[in-house]
Amino acid sequence: MLELKDIRLSYGTTQVLNGVNLSVKRGDVVSIIGPSGTGKTTLLKCINYLARPSSGTIAFDQIQMDYQRADKNAVQAIRLRTAMVFQQFNVFKNMTVIQNVMDPLVVVQRKSKEEAQEIALRELDRVGLSSKRDSYPSQLSGGQLQRTGIARALAVRPDVMLFDEPTSSLDPELVGEVLKVIRDVTSSGITSLLVTHEMQFAKSISNRIVFMDRGVVAADGSPAEIFDSPSSPRLAQFLSSEHSLQ
Amino acid sequence: MDVSAMIPELLSALPLTLAITFTALIAGFCLALLATTLRVHRVPVISHLADLYVSYARSVPVVLQLFVAFYGLPLLVVLFGSEDFFSPTIAAMVALSFYHGGYLSEVLRPAYLAVDRGQHDAADSLGYTFRQKITRVVGPQAVHFALPGYGNSVIYLIHNVALVMYIGAADVMATAHLIMERDYNQYQFETYLVLAVIYSVMCLIAWLIVRFFELRSPMQAPEATAKAQIKNALIASA
Ligand SMILES: Nc1ncnc2c1ncn2[C@@H]1O[C@H](COP(=O)(O)OP(=O)(O)O)[C@@H](O)[C@H]1O
Ligand SMILES: [Mg+2]
Repeated sequence: MLELKDIRLSYGTTQVLNGVNLSVKRGDVVSIIGPSGTGKTTLLKCINYLARPSSGTIAFDQIQMDYQRADKNAVQAIRLRTAMVFQQFNVFKNMTVIQNVMDPLVVVQRKSKEEAQEIALRELDRVGLSSKRDSYPSQLSGGQLQRTGIARALAVRPDVMLFDEPTSSLDPELVGEVLKVIRDVTSSGITSLLVTHEMQFAKSISNRIVFMDRGVVAADGSPAEIFDSPSSPRLAQFLSSEHSLQ
Repeated sequence: MDVSAMIPELLSALPLTLAITFTALIAGFCLALLATTLRVHRVPVISHLADLYVSYARSVPVVLQLFVAFYGLPLLVVLFGSEDFFSPTIAAMVALSFYHGGYLSEVLRPAYLAVDRGQHDAADSLGYTFRQKITRVVGPQAVHFALPGYGNSVIYLIHNVALVMYIGAADVMATAHLIMERDYNQYQFETYLVLAVIYSVMCLIAWLIVRFFELRSPMQAPEATAKAQIKNALIASA
């Protein structure tokens, strides 16, 4: 359902993505792993055009786009069918929890307030935040902020969820509550791309693992293939360094 | 003549002072929005003109800006073939609108830039149009960052309205001088003291209004991050 071909992107003189190819099938849960600074975040942001590749193509079901001729309508169509969960949460700071979840429904999807509220309450219940619905972001913990971000993303009913290191900015004791929600989301069958350093978690929820290294996809396979018999020395080295951190 | 007789006379000039102030507040705000938009978006040439305007408004002494408007505007109008209709009051309104707009742009621009990049990303990723993003997310947060600086700029504007007497506008300051001269400069101290009280009250009211909005801001919750507080302090002192 989603196919990226030969994505290239540089910031100034540094090449960040050097021809990335990635294809995702409906229902896939793909975890993207790899060293810091390798372009994992940038790759996710290419999908919804928060980052602007210099070349490459994307196909998202019927929507096709060549990044060299980026087209507003195609970008918007993709944005309406994807939802992103950010490493820094990026919950709207001027809105309460429930307003965060309702706002895209009312503003972008033009739903009525009542309908938006109904959906928002259901999603907040799903992430366990019903009691915090009227709190402002400055009154919440990191885990609660991220669960707000997830509820906001789920509420728009995306075809694909993009998680960018959703637990990396959290205090260790708050990681569990967020992983639990993500596990629940991915097991519901929604197509997901997850950038993460939580190796055990990635292994247990994904049907595919993509190893990115120095701006390319360096390995791509089932969790067993990637974790149990790493195909390259750099992958093996990366896995053992991650392992020693945990 | 005693002080109690002087106060109503001084206050009779207050509407003019307020008219100039409010005109400059409103027109200046519009100019500041325009200048800030141009300066944030960097349109070639036009953005440089906006930079030039802001630097004029911020670096030329306000008295001088008043003289420039008072003597310059009639020339400009004649150039376009119409009659000179500029009273000192209109010149003062124009000059102070420009001054306030330029000054305020240097409050709004950092406030806009203080809004976290991630807030833009989140709104964009959800399919907000630029307009929706500004009105729903970025604008309200920028307002929060701008309020302390905005309060200062309003107070400076009120102070600078006292300079319009130099181009002959009949504001409270000019009226005070008339009263003093008529009384052979007997009650100078008293007159100035009353004037000081009038200005204090005006600034206090302006400050209270801005403060009310500051406290009402949803981002002003007790556990607001230290980073945001530092940003606020920096903007306030800028
Ligand atoms: N907006 C940006 N401007 C300049 N350089 C950037 C920007 N975003 C990311 N980079 C650089 O691009 C590289 C890849 O970043 P990123 O995609 O965040 O990596 P990862 O998510 O794998 O850690 C890094 O070297 C980073 O410094
Ligand atoms: Mg990253």
